[in-house]
Amino acid sequence: MWDIMKTVREINQRIKDGDAVVVTAAEMTAIVRENGAKQAAEEIDVVTTGTFGAMCSSGAFLNFGHSDPPIKMSRTYLNGVEAYSGLAAVDAYLGATQPNRNPDIGLEYGGSHVIEDLIRGNEIELVAEAYGTDCYPLTEIKTQITLESINEAIMVNPRNCYQNYSSATNSTDETLYTYMGTLLPNMGNVSYSSAGELSPLLNDPYFQTIGTGSRIFLCGTQGYIIGEGTQFATEVERRNGVPVSTAGTLMLKGNMKEMHSDYVRGATMPKYGSTLYVGAGIPIPILNEELAQRTAISDEEITCRIVDYGVPRRSKPIVREANYHELKSGVIELNGVEVPTSPLSSQKKALEIALKLKEWIDKGEFLLTIPVEKLPNKGRTVKPLEIQKPRILVKDLKGEALILAHPTDAISEVARRMVQNSINHLPVVDEGNKLLGIVTSWDVANAVAHGKNKLTDVMTKKVIIAREEEPVDVIARRIDKNKISGLPVIDSDNRVKGMVTAEDISRLIGGD
Amino acid sequence: MKAWLTFSPSIVNKAIISNLVKNYDITFNILRADITPKGGKMLIEISGTQQKQAVEFMEKEGIHLNPINKVVKKDEEKCIDCGACISLCPVEAIKPAEDWTVEVDDLKCIGCSFCTNSCPTRAIRVME
Repeated sequence: MWDIMKTVREINQRIKDGDAVVVTAAEMTAIVRENGAKQAAEEIDVVTTGTFGAMCSSGAFLNFGHSDPPIKMSRTYLNGVEAYSGLAAVDAYLGATQPNRNPDIGLEYGGSHVIEDLIRGNEIELVAEAYGTDCYPLTEIKTQITLESINEAIMVNPRNCYQNYSSATNSTDETLYTYMGTLLPNMGNVSYSSAGELSPLLNDPYFQTIGTGSRIFLCGTQGYIIGEGTQFATEVERRNGVPVSTAGTLMLKGNMKEMHSDYVRGATMPKYGSTLYVGAGIPIPILNEELAQRTAISDEEITCRIVDYGVPRRSKPIVREANYHELKSGVIELNGVEVPTSPLSSQKKALEIALKLKEWIDKGEFLLTIPVEKLPNKGRTVKPLEIQKPRILVKDLKGEALILAHPTDAISEVARRMVQNSINHLPVVDEGNKLLGIVTSWDVANAVAHGKNKLTDVMTKKVIIAREEEPVDVIARRIDKNKISGLPVIDSDNRVKGMVTAEDISRLIGGD
Repeated sequence: MKAWLTFSPSIVNKAIISNLVKNYDITFNILRADITPKGGKMLIEISGTQQKQAVEFMEKEGIHLNPINKVVKKDEEKCIDCGACISLCPVEAIKPAEDWTVEVDDLKCIGCSFCTNSCPTRAIRVME
């Protein structure tokens, strides 16, 4: 155990006296490097942290006040975005990722944008529906509200401030649109989302000072940690004391009426959905030498995995490990190629937040708290959700006789084969049954119309494929996304094993 | 200036570009190129005192010239400097400054719009 050198109470007295020494986590790294942890612990009272990232698991409880006659709202829409209203008459919870009910707007203006508009003081249209009761006779309402006009607007975010988060890349040959941003094909870029050495939970990795009741910076005002966040884990691989992947999370609360749009923004990850950029900063009291050492952690000492989002599964393959110093340099080497990186969370705002929090403490406007209960620091893992129904893989589909075409086949022969077997696609293969392309009935019609005789001139060479070990649901999404009606199944040696069509899949899904 | 050059198949094999550099003393930077035996497209940036003559020469040789007049603009109020756009830019026209402010370079931009379509706060726009 480390000797306690000072207490939170003593630090607070120094803050009140204007004598506290407060530095940011980035400054602390340099201070400890220069003077050592012992001297730093003696001299520094508080280290401030900060992060400004996309945190989907965010939202707000709103109380609209009672109308006359009153209404028991069972559905509410704010600028067209539904808020959950299965609460008392005029309470609702607006989630950041809720899309707009108008499909033309959809993901472009969702829950997070309503939150930002409220904080900016803009007028919001409230539409409410109800079934009507003796005490709440009204069945519908349409009116305008503002943040000021409603009783409460309390941000409660079930999962914020991930302790660490894997970076993302994409090995497939098409662009992917994910919650980690746009991922270019063939590992064309990498996006990472942590603030690294400034990130709150990387500076107190065993939660020695952080817990329920801790006062923090939240979106420009003083908020609180109200407990561990969802998907909270402690039993993870660590290096230099900090997790190398997702681990601790926080549930946060703050009064939206005091927040500022400089530190909270609605956003949309293209073709993924709306999300809320949340600014959070946590002060860490330097009570002993160990905490001085922990808060001195540098980007170089924090490991981050780079995973392949080209595999849409729960466990994604790890491409390599890197540290935040490498990621923040702007390029990283993947399989011998220099790949550009993007931060996704604002490093600039993260530092601004750590500095703002420092300023508050320096001015005596912000006092530290002793948590009512510290966050758990052992025994917690994240459970997966098992789907009871067995997962159907492509290889489980009942295959019909495999009908193929070869590059030398005449168009007329290919047409005959299609008609005889009532099929619309034929994989084109070489002697070893390896896939060369695909030819559809449309291609054949095209060949006849333009007097082309060679199969290789009309077939599609860039073929979207299904692999035997892939779940059928993934293939359904691929068919839908690429607007195709079927695709060849290939094994690990690129040999064609069959065809899977949209009909096969809809029969399967419709059949249970 | 920046421009897309379109080559017809008949002139793909001609040494137009090297003559251009030789005869008109211009600085020439190829930003993108996609040349096949069926013709091709090339995105170039040229500068020099004889730029006008150089353009006339290319047009005379059968290259179709399509100048890019697009500019990329960042809305300072909307931008949160997250940097999601940085790694998407094919010509490194978007870079973080020392303090991580996202900076866009109009002169480098080729107007591909990749950044605008991927900006979480719709803060970056490409305009004519």
